[in-house]
Amino acid sequence: MRRRDVLTGAAAAAIAGSARALPAKTLVFGGSVPLTGAAAETGLNVNNGYITAVSYLNELLGGVEIAGEKYRIELKLFDDASDPARATTLIQRQIDDGTDFFLGSFGSNIVLPTAAITERAGKPMVQTGGGADAIFTRGFKYVFGMYPRATRQFVAAAALFKSLQPAPRTYSVIFTNDAFSKAAADGVKLSCNEAGFKLLDTFELPQKPTDVSGVLSSVRAKTPDILVCVMHDQDSLLIARQMIATGTNVKLLFQGLGPQLASFREALGKYADDLMCSTYWDETVPYKDKFFGDSKQFTQYYRSKFTRPIAYHTAGAAACILTYVLAMQQAKSIEPRAVRDALAAADFETFYSRIKFTPQGDGDALLLGGMIGQVEKGKLETVFPVEARTASALYPARAWDVKA
Amino acid sequence: MIQQTLADGLVLGGIYALSAVGFSLIFGVLHVINLSHGILVLIGAYLALTFSRMLQIDPLLTVPLVMAVLFVIGYAYQRFLIQYAVDRSRLGSMLLTFGVALMLQNIMIWVFSPDMKNITPSYAFVSFHIAGLTFDAVRVSALAASLVLLGCLAALLKYSPLGRVIRATAQQTLAARLCGVNVRHVYALTFAVSAAFAGAAGIVIGIILPFSPADESMWTLNAFVVVVLGGIGSPAGALIGGLLLGLASTLTAQYIGPAFPNVTMFMLLVLMLLVRPNGLLGNAFSASR
Amino acid sequence: MKPYAPLFVLLCALLLAAAPGVLPPFYVRVGQITLYSAALGTAWAIPGGFAGYGSFGNAAFIGVGAFAAGLTENQFASLSPPLALLLGLGAGAAACAILSAAIAYPILRLRGTFFAIAMLGVSHVCSELNNNVDALQGSLGLNFPAVTMANLAPEAFFYELYLIAGLAVLCVAWLIQRSRFGAGLLAIREDEDTARMLGVPTERYKRIAFFVSAVLTGLLGVIYAHSLGYITTDSVYRDDTNLNLVVFSLLGGMGTLFGPAIGAFLLVFVTQVVLGRLLDFHLFATGLLLVILVLAAPSGILGFVRTRTRRRSAMAPAE
Repeated sequence: MRRRDVLTGAAAAAIAGSARALPAKTLVFGGSVPLTGAAAETGLNVNNGYITAVSYLNELLGGVEIAGEKYRIELKLFDDASDPARATTLIQRQIDDGTDFFLGSFGSNIVLPTAAITERAGKPMVQTGGGADAIFTRGFKYVFGMYPRATRQFVAAAALFKSLQPAPRTYSVIFTNDAFSKAAADGVKLSCNEAGFKLLDTFELPQKPTDVSGVLSSVRAKTPDILVCVMHDQDSLLIARQMIATGTNVKLLFQGLGPQLASFREALGKYADDLMCSTYWDETVPYKDKFFGDSKQFTQYYRSKFTRPIAYHTAGAAACILTYVLAMQQAKSIEPRAVRDALAAADFETFYSRIKFTPQGDGDALLLGGMIGQVEKGKLETVFPVEARTASALYPARAWDVKA
Repeated sequence: MIQQTLADGLVLGGIYALSAVGFSLIFGVLHVINLSHGILVLIGAYLALTFSRMLQIDPLLTVPLVMAVLFVIGYAYQRFLIQYAVDRSRLGSMLLTFGVALMLQNIMIWVFSPDMKNITPSYAFVSFHIAGLTFDAVRVSALAASLVLLGCLAALLKYSPLGRVIRATAQQTLAARLCGVNVRHVYALTFAVSAAFAGAAGIVIGIILPFSPADESMWTLNAFVVVVLGGIGSPAGALIGGLLLGLASTLTAQYIGPAFPNVTMFMLLVLMLLVRPNGLLGNAFSASR
Repeated sequence: MKPYAPLFVLLCALLLAAAPGVLPPFYVRVGQITLYSAALGTAWAIPGGFAGYGSFGNAAFIGVGAFAAGLTENQFASLSPPLALLLGLGAGAAACAILSAAIAYPILRLRGTFFAIAMLGVSHVCSELNNNVDALQGSLGLNFPAVTMANLAPEAFFYELYLIAGLAVLCVAWLIQRSRFGAGLLAIREDEDTARMLGVPTERYKRIAFFVSAVLTGLLGVIYAHSLGYITTDSVYRDDTNLNLVVFSLLGGMGTLFGPAIGAFLLVFVTQVVLGRLLDFHLFATGLLLVILVLAAPSGILGFVRTRTRRRSAMAPAE
């Protein structure tokens, strides 16, 4: 159904272009998304987010006003198929074509080489897909990430663990061997050790695990209070399913990615209850902006365009474009340098979150560091931070056979 | 612990075996390395998902339906595409299947979306204990299905007229042709049978693992390794190779490190090629070239 | 080879070297990828095309070269950029030399498809080890120091570097092709057993060809890693590279000197320039292209051209 989604989105944007007397000036956003290959699922969510934001701004708001001029926004994206050689070549084409503003791809090994090119050309890049620390420690001035760097993404979760009663004492980490998960696992250890938890075991899985029965036997033999899994959603699902089937119980199963997806919860049914995960956004967040209003309206508009369930990456991607527009309005200019300075100084509120970057360019660890969600009665509730919470955290989780 | 690891390995191995048998047959009879094998496996998984939702039945009951569909696809694929490259060069036909794999992967992304999908049968979370070992029901039923299907294929090749013709063509193509065998037709039928079994493997894989269109290369590679370990062209070879691979990967995961099964898997591949390039059971049909 | 051919190649090289001055950066980058691919393809073809030992695993040498270079350079962070690059090239070449020498003897006992698959296995073993052994930093990623000169755009710098490397590889291939050694490789391709019987030192020849190809591929991998600036295992050990190298020769003409380069140019041009803007069906288009090429020109572009001209010259006397 995906192709139709993309096409309707594009068609809607096209109709919007013709129906209204639109401003003649266009503002082009370039960049790549992986629509094929391993990261295609996230790539599609990100792409839909861009399309939603752009067609809303063009269609319903008649373009955006920057320094007294009205602009129509145009997206120029290509599929990089997660191949760095392809991505760098095609990014260069867009720079040659005069594109001034870039949105990022997914996967640090793509984002970093492309960011090096846009950086050199002095064009800003606001991206949602590269979290590796290396991107933010090279002194790039034009690259901004919507999430904190990988090693800082677990600060919030560790804070939550500390507030649980009865206090958990030990934890184990399972992670897959890719740049993102590995760095995130380091972040987990950093944050949890700092918060005073004792690490029992670390399990390193191959990049694409097919069977985790061995790891689970070890977990049963030496059971931690909290089991943290950092990996992509389909691997999380594999672990959850095998844990249920083998009756491997822990007091809390925390899966970085997975339970926030409707399809994941559906696949586990009742067993999904009590699972905890990071979530960066859902439609109940309290933030507001002047474009969409709030997350409810954003979701509503998205649903009028796509049948695909909404994911936080979609909202994050839309927020990239809103951030750009806000920065341009602040700078009263569409000159890349001025926009870059406005981005660096950004402290905007969008429906997605408050947007603020660290001096190195990654998202502020507290504002953009995400929230913690827990599945309660089949619904994903926000349990942390306290200001945004919709339910309180359940701990310890029930055993699998109790949930059945 | 060791018994549990061995048991897990055997269960995984049975599934690997089924997923490779189609690849093995095409390699043995047509001498084509079918790089679109993983795609055929995934098509099976997606079809099972669709059918079991549509008809509200257990995914394992969709086996005949899925196999029938893939049989037809496989026949047409060989007859109208691969046939034109099969006699020219080994590399050419391989490249052709690679091109088809790319196209089909893209089509699958359009039709089924790039999302991970999974088939959740009603017994997905059940497990039972025998002699202190834990088995989960999905994996065991997947293993049972694999063994039954492999047995069927072995019987088909051994006793049915079609099997006889396939074996004859593989051993002596020219002689078979002289005896009145329509070689093209046999090739296409072989391909069809292989595709059907790839599809069946897809169902079995679908109920134990989440899958997405990007996984295709993984299943092609697995099939490669299994075939090289066990031997080309026979269900028995695939079974031996699969079990060996399954054991190797769970043992490595347990005793060397969960990140290393793939390393051992490919090390085994290379070692086996060096020691016994025809696999443990040798080539079922003809000397390797 | 006709006497004016080297002159012609030299002229082409000069023209190519001047290209970054006039072309927009995008085309310089396309050129960069083309030269890189062409050089890889030519290196692949030394054992692959000449001797018939086509490998599915040359990405192993790209990756091993790149990581060896990166890890060594990061040990000596204070070196000046050109020295760092030289050190990296040395380290990459050394690592590939050791690896290829170690595996050459056993792996070259295999032939045809089995050799190809074994190399695929080697490539995956290297990739997995690189990814899973923490000291090698494969999954976290490796930074490369910037080695470009200040007054030259990075794309132009790497373009020229690739051009030099590509010419070097082509030269090596050309020297091999016209030598006794090259004739020996050809004999191996046609009939290895007969060749050995006739006194061709097949084992030694195969090993040398394999070794040369591995080292050249490793050197190219080092340059590639520097041009990206940051790599993870996924950036260098790529199965699509493994397959593309075969495709280049098949497209251009198996066993010819210029075939891989022509094939590389064609494929890169089509996938990056013609299909570059496609958002959601470039994979399909690439696949379709491969299918059409296999069916329409099974012996590659050069083979296709040759049969056409031969047919024409065969017809000429009849007129």
